[in-house]
Amino acid sequence: MRLHPVSFFSLFFALLFMAPAPGFAQELEGRIRYLVTHDWSKKFAAVDYISKQARERNAYMWGNRSEWKVYTEMFITPTQTKYQDAEEKAEPEDEGYSWRKEEFMVQRNFETQTNYEVFTMLGKKYLLQDSIHGQDWKILNDMKEVAGHVCMNAFWEDTLKMQKVSAWFALDIPVSSGPERFCGLPGLILEVDVNDGGMIITADKIETRQLTSELDLPKKSKGKKITEAEFRSLLKKHVDEKRKAEEPPFWGVRY
Amino acid sequence: MKKVCLPLAFACLCLLLSSVLSAQTPSRITIKGTVFDTSGAEIPFATVMLLNPKDTTLVNFSRSDEKGVFSFKNVKNSPYLFKISYIGYIPYTQALATSPTEVNDLGIVRIKPITQELMEVVIRTAKAPLRIRGDTIEYDATTFKVPPGSTVEDLLRRLPGIEVDADGNIRAQGKDVQRVYVDGKTFFGDDPKSATKNLGAETISKVQVYDEKSEQAKLTGVEDGKKEKTMNLELKEEFKKGSFGKITGAIGTEDRWALRGNYNRFNTKQQLSFIAFANNINQTGVNWEDYGEFKGQNTFNDNDNGDFGFGSNRRGWYYFSGDDSPLNNFDGRGFTKNYGGGTNYNFDNKKSKFNISYFYNESTLNLDQYSFRETFLSDNSFTNTDTVTQLDFRGSHSISTRLEQEIDSNDIVIIKANMRLGSNTSDNRQGQLFAESGMPPTNSLELNNNTELSSWRLSGTAIYRHRFKKKGRSIAGSAGYNGSSSDGTENIFSLNRFFQATTLTEQIRQLNNNDNQTQQLKASLLFTEPLHKKWFWETFYNFSQTDNKVNRQVLNPEINNERIDNLSIFYDFNVLYNRLGSDVRYSYEGVNIAVGLAAQQLQLDGKYAIDENLPLLTDPIRRNFTNLIPNLDFSWQLPNNMWLGLNYGYGVEEPRLNDLQPVPNVNNPAFRTEGNPNLVPQRSHDVSGNFNYWNAASFANVGIGMGANFFDNNIVYNQTIEVIDSVGIRTTTRPDNVSGGQNFYTYLWSSFPIIKTKLTFDVNGNINANRSPSFVNGVENETRSNGYQVQAGLNLTPNPKLIVGLDGSLGFNKITYSIQESQNQNIQNHSVDASIKWQFAAKTFLESNLNYSVFRNDRFGFNQEVPIWNASVRRLLGKNNRLEVRLAAFDLLNKKVSITQTGTANYVIRNVASTLARYYMLSLSYNMRGYEDKLKKNGWW
Repeated sequence: MRLHPVSFFSLFFALLFMAPAPGFAQELEGRIRYLVTHDWSKKFAAVDYISKQARERNAYMWGNRSEWKVYTEMFITPTQTKYQDAEEKAEPEDEGYSWRKEEFMVQRNFETQTNYEVFTMLGKKYLLQDSIHGQDWKILNDMKEVAGHVCMNAFWEDTLKMQKVSAWFALDIPVSSGPERFCGLPGLILEVDVNDGGMIITADKIETRQLTSELDLPKKSKGKKITEAEFRSLLKKHVDEKRKAEEPPFWGVRY
Repeated sequence: MKKVCLPLAFACLCLLLSSVLSAQTPSRITIKGTVFDTSGAEIPFATVMLLNPKDTTLVNFSRSDEKGVFSFKNVKNSPYLFKISYIGYIPYTQALATSPTEVNDLGIVRIKPITQELMEVVIRTAKAPLRIRGDTIEYDATTFKVPPGSTVEDLLRRLPGIEVDADGNIRAQGKDVQRVYVDGKTFFGDDPKSATKNLGAETISKVQVYDEKSEQAKLTGVEDGKKEKTMNLELKEEFKKGSFGKITGAIGTEDRWALRGNYNRFNTKQQLSFIAFANNINQTGVNWEDYGEFKGQNTFNDNDNGDFGFGSNRRGWYYFSGDDSPLNNFDGRGFTKNYGGGTNYNFDNKKSKFNISYFYNESTLNLDQYSFRETFLSDNSFTNTDTVTQLDFRGSHSISTRLEQEIDSNDIVIIKANMRLGSNTSDNRQGQLFAESGMPPTNSLELNNNTELSSWRLSGTAIYRHRFKKKGRSIAGSAGYNGSSSDGTENIFSLNRFFQATTLTEQIRQLNNNDNQTQQLKASLLFTEPLHKKWFWETFYNFSQTDNKVNRQVLNPEINNERIDNLSIFYDFNVLYNRLGSDVRYSYEGVNIAVGLAAQQLQLDGKYAIDENLPLLTDPIRRNFTNLIPNLDFSWQLPNNMWLGLNYGYGVEEPRLNDLQPVPNVNNPAFRTEGNPNLVPQRSHDVSGNFNYWNAASFANVGIGMGANFFDNNIVYNQTIEVIDSVGIRTTTRPDNVSGGQNFYTYLWSSFPIIKTKLTFDVNGNINANRSPSFVNGVENETRSNGYQVQAGLNLTPNPKLIVGLDGSLGFNKITYSIQESQNQNIQNHSVDASIKWQFAAKTFLESNLNYSVFRNDRFGFNQEVPIWNASVRRLLGKNNRLEVRLAAFDLLNKKVSITQTGTANYVIRNVASTLARYYMLSLSYNMRGYEDKLKKNGWW
């Protein structure tokens, strides 16, 4: 695309008269669909305790063939979000093998500052209830657009799960939430890249609509009740064991 | 109480002190201000953030109100990076020091708009992350498409906010660009155009534009306030580009030697590799690890053979594509000398995947083997011993290529082709001694056969898939060709000596010319229609036509190579295959069921003559077989990583070509093989089931499976054993159809830690049972074979430098013959194995294993024990452990021998072959990537 050249003059005019792009903080209520792309060979490449040779060989042998895609969704109001696996299939349906979905949900209520999660880890179901714990994000200066929203870049390194997380949060959706366990930024997280493509979560569809029962908590589900701290220590124990066994830690644990 | 009081008092003191101090620098402050833009308008709802100045970690955030006013109340008084970001504006950053007062009023903060063009074009249209660092604006060059061969100048013309005039002068944001750097360095002098006119656009990853101090200011160090527009071109960071490889040379005692090496070059899209090996230590190919590195991302492929319908594998599952693979496949017998080498190229940019690979492989085998065979008849049995000396050469060139092209997200084409040229020469000297059980030998047979064979094989497949707009509806079609040809001669000599008969010797010479050709055309179609969210309906059609031409001319060298008519045959055999089927599939939440039915038709056409141009021996034979084939696939993924699978199919298998030939093969006069042109396809009900469980928390695995085949119609090999004057004891084998016969198998495997990460136990067991009827001299014999095998092992890793393994296995095979129960066999193969891997000094490793095997068959009083002990020491040397020296001892006890024991039909056979025994070897290896400086724990996952 060839652009009209920008002269100093027109730039000056633009600065003077151009009304800034309307950037009102939206009172968003609706559903956001995220496309999640997993690449197990890239996940494997980030496991620092497995020998470099083994990781390089694995990446070389799998190339671009270790990807799979799923959809997740988030229901959002200015004060609440609920994130879970979506019904839609991201892989072509005609090839039809249907995997079982583990029960999974992350519910955050910003009025009561509570976080409620249901998930399966290592074959066991847990109910995590605690206050909202955001990550220690570093704010970077990059900008890009995701699903029609201009986003800023933030970075966090999870030393426990060996994940380098790059998140893009919307400046105009002032809800401090995001997909999976990611939250705590000044705007809603619309894209996350974990370990350079190991897992990429991108908002691909935003529907504004009045929500009815979508944010309701599921019926009492059975599972072990734990807190954030207990979850971290369970995870740490597992990663430490896998480190000793020199096996990747991510099978059986949501990435 | 005193103990508590003291700290409490101290705390009070601290509190007091801190409040006194806060009179000077308050501990908690309020930071406030108002956001305006450079034109003087207030900015409502801007995101304002406080960051940790050390690492830009987010500490607090807020938003300005309708009037642009913001405040952070009650925050810790410390230095911050204060940041404002707002859509359409350049992010604003200001360093805040510790505040002397309780309120740090920043007053009016002005933020600069991003030009609308940058905003719209870079961020919105190109979806390129636009990086803004202070005044630097960075473009991601890879998102602006330019034709191949373009220069940087062409690229710059496409960047918003940058102009290039006819002379190549550059202006950025309205100002002339004074300097162009490449990776921060000047490029061939001062002319900014030299870089932009000469560098290729594809080498650039980022374009950065910023203001730099003037040359004058840099020289004098005096700030003159002048800024010059500067552009930096960042070259592509091709971090994935690289190469690796290794080479090993080894020499040993007993004239043993080995060489092998591989080299790979790759970048993000391409992989090129070379591999070669040569040795006389029975490595007929490469190991799995080297093979994976050789084939790169083409090691695993979709199993896209284009055969749709029952029995075909689902797309999206990856398979090891091991056809014609140069993997080591030595069977343990004899001495081999091997040479091989090849090259492989892969291209993959996600839309197109291309592979081409060439390999040459040759192997020369020297084999000395002794066999003992006992054959049971209804009233007696006979034995023969067999001593073989064989010199065998096999060489092959293979080329394979594959292209997968995604036309768009709904259409994909896959084209594959494989070609193989082979040659084989074999010199076989065999001495056989025949006797009735417990009697002195009746005759001896000496055979001397020379074989030469050259062959080629070519196969090509094209597959096209299309997905319709309606979700879940798709069509796939495939077409393929398979052709093969072999041309061989067999020069056969046999000398039969009789110890008791009147004729003392019988000599046969025979020259066979074999010329075989097969051509196959095939095509398949598959249509999938979604019936409902979870229901699909699949319809498929398969077609193939196979033309086999076999010409076997048997000549008598003693009478001017005259044809022996009753052994020569030409036949042209056609198989026409049609299958039309349909199934309904349910897929939801881990439950996948498919139930279907197909109609299958096989049409066999055969023509027989003595030679190609001679009149037919019989009228052409045409036979049709039509079957209805039901099929069921059920797989259920239960919670907690449990899987259950069940399958039922009805198998119809056409007879093998060799079994249909109407004249006998008498290369060995004592073992005559006849064909049966009246054979009909083998048919069976096949059922199988499996269960798997994996516990991620305890690291335990369990798998159980079972399966059975019930034959409606079974192709079996009937035997006629008779004493013929000129031959002695002659066994004639002839295939025939019988009803009945069953196979059954079941297996179990499990592995679980006794002490997590330190001690693991694994166990395997399997049971095989089969009943097969056949006729021996016209009497029905049912052979029942029951095999039991159990293996258990312990793996101990007390610390990362030591791994100890202990393994044992027991194997029993009970074979009963209904015609003569006294001959029932109990074949036993047992073994124990102990191994150690020990890093006993820095970069130095000891590896050793001891295997003790017992081969028994009590009925013959056979009991052989074979202990094998291997040991090696290796040490890593050099920078990054690139060198490895290894001293290895193979079979220290000098006991290695190959023993196999099998019992089927109405005979039992035992082979003992000599093979490479004790030798010592010293090897030196160089690895460009370096060797791992630790014990290898896991092979593969």
